[in-house]
Amino acid sequence: MSEFIQIIVSGLSAGSIYALAAVGFTLLWQASQTINFAQGEFVMLPAFFVLGAMGLGAPMWLAIAVALGLSVLLLGAAFKKLIVEPMLPHGTLPLIIATIALGLLMKESVKEFYSAQGQPFPPIFPTEVVRVFGAAISVADIMNLAVSFAAILTLQLFLQRTRTGRCMQATAQNRGVAEILGVNVKRMVMYTFLINAALAAIASILITPIYLAKFSNGETLGLVAFIAAIVGGFNQIRGALVGGLLIGVIDNLSAFYVSSEYRAAAPLILLIVIIMVRPQGIMGTSEGRTV
Amino acid sequence: MLELKDIYGGYDKITILNGTSFKVPRASITTMIGPNGAGKSTVFRAIFGLLNIRSGQILFDGQDVTRHTPKQMINHGVTYVPQGRNVIPQLSVWHNLEMGGVTARDQSKVRARMETVMDQFPMLREYKNRKAIELSGGQQQQLEIARSLLLDPKLILIDEPSIGLSPNLVQDVFVTLQRLRDQGVTILMVEQNAKAALAISDYGLVLELGQTQMHDDASKLLNDPKVGQLFLGGHFHEEEGAA
Ligand SMILES: Nc1ncnc2c1ncn2[C@@H]1O[C@H](COP(=O)(O)OP(=O)(O)O)[C@@H](O)[C@H]1O
Ligand SMILES: [Mg+2]
Repeated sequence: MSEFIQIIVSGLSAGSIYALAAVGFTLLWQASQTINFAQGEFVMLPAFFVLGAMGLGAPMWLAIAVALGLSVLLLGAAFKKLIVEPMLPHGTLPLIIATIALGLLMKESVKEFYSAQGQPFPPIFPTEVVRVFGAAISVADIMNLAVSFAAILTLQLFLQRTRTGRCMQATAQNRGVAEILGVNVKRMVMYTFLINAALAAIASILITPIYLAKFSNGETLGLVAFIAAIVGGFNQIRGALVGGLLIGVIDNLSAFYVSSEYRAAAPLILLIVIIMVRPQGIMGTSEGRTV
Repeated sequence: MLELKDIYGGYDKITILNGTSFKVPRASITTMIGPNGAGKSTVFRAIFGLLNIRSGQILFDGQDVTRHTPKQMINHGVTYVPQGRNVIPQLSVWHNLEMGGVTARDQSKVRARMETVMDQFPMLREYKNRKAIELSGGQQQQLEIARSLLLDPKLILIDEPSIGLSPNLVQDVFVTLQRLRDQGVTILMVEQNAKAALAISDYGLVLELGQTQMHDDASKLLNDPKVGQLFLGGHFHEEEGAA
């Protein structure tokens, strides 16, 4: 039983980090029909910004701040301006291909210019465990969960309780009408890209201490975020959150009780089951977009 | 108050407006009729800065507003209620209404205005916390009209408000428009329901192939045998929604 609790908690912890990437993925899709196949690399890269800044002598907190700033600038603003804006008029498919190419470029660049080896990444939370009902729960897992939930909750409150957030919702749900009402649609779409980049950076900083910082980290992360978004209905923040958590838990359970050899298959099996049983996603409604 | 002078424009390489010209006097209702595809909705898009205008001029209150953006047009005092259903589906009725005042600098004035507008449409107050998508078609149309009033516009462009509404609700919408006209608002409306629309209008104009074919007092158009034959034989049956 205590073992089971441990597995569930660390599954939720990893899942909440997947959810950050999945939520960003969903937001981009809603706001600009961008399916970002570089999302995994968006989560891989910011950890290297942290390592780079620390390599230059910056303390951890400053390195994290720099990484957040750089991510928002490069993975948010520059991504939108230099890749999405020029490609989107040509259609969704060219844009998808462009994001795949961008992902490869990011991966290869890190491998070439930083390192092909996994780099140890300093833990940001104490590496202690606490005992709950006999189960050894890691403090880092709890903190990961807390930070991810706080980020998603803040985002939800921003979208619902502020006028700017509602303008972003209006832009996602009915762009033509938002424009006619005088909403600065372009700016709202830009905000979405900045938010996605920030979520990816947070995910990066939380997840990398669990593994190592490695150029190939985005491969599974991107897939998992994509699946979590689909499982969640592709249009809903809540859905992406549930999708991410579900994948984290199933992934951990299957690694422990079945075999870690098959753990990569678990999210895919979940995806197939969901597509067969509830094609609109767990939380999705067939009527369309919801934030 | 509004004048279009020889407007040419369209989509990509297709020209839809072929020298459209007409004037809309202040505090009046003008109804634009014409066959499906004549370019009526396109005229609205041209006025509201959503169309590539190749030549011609649009004057509003004596000022040249040709190619002004939607936001600029809103600031001039023009609002646009497009064809079809145009609510923000997952936002509440209240927040949809608020969106009508999104360009205002002073948001406290918007609050006050929302109360005034809800006094005119009590249904909206009753359902203010519902999602807009949960309203019926007629209620959504009311919400859209109410939203277009949020900034106290001088001119309202309204495209086929009767689509999908029962005759009673159509009459409600028309009564609302007449009340606004009596308060001094200018209204330019497109309607397929030509007879009923002209009956409550001051002026009517006929658009064909992107050109103004007739422009006269609404009563004259109503009694014109040619108009009667072409447009007043009842309702036009066409698909909804295409903007
Ligand atoms: N976005 C668009 N792109 C290309 N052609 C369009 C577009 N919207 C409308 N049209 C065409 O312009 C013509 C006029 O359309 P519209 O102004 O909607 O007519 P109406 O409102 O009088 O029925 C039609 O032939 C229509 O097919
Ligand atoms: Mg039309």
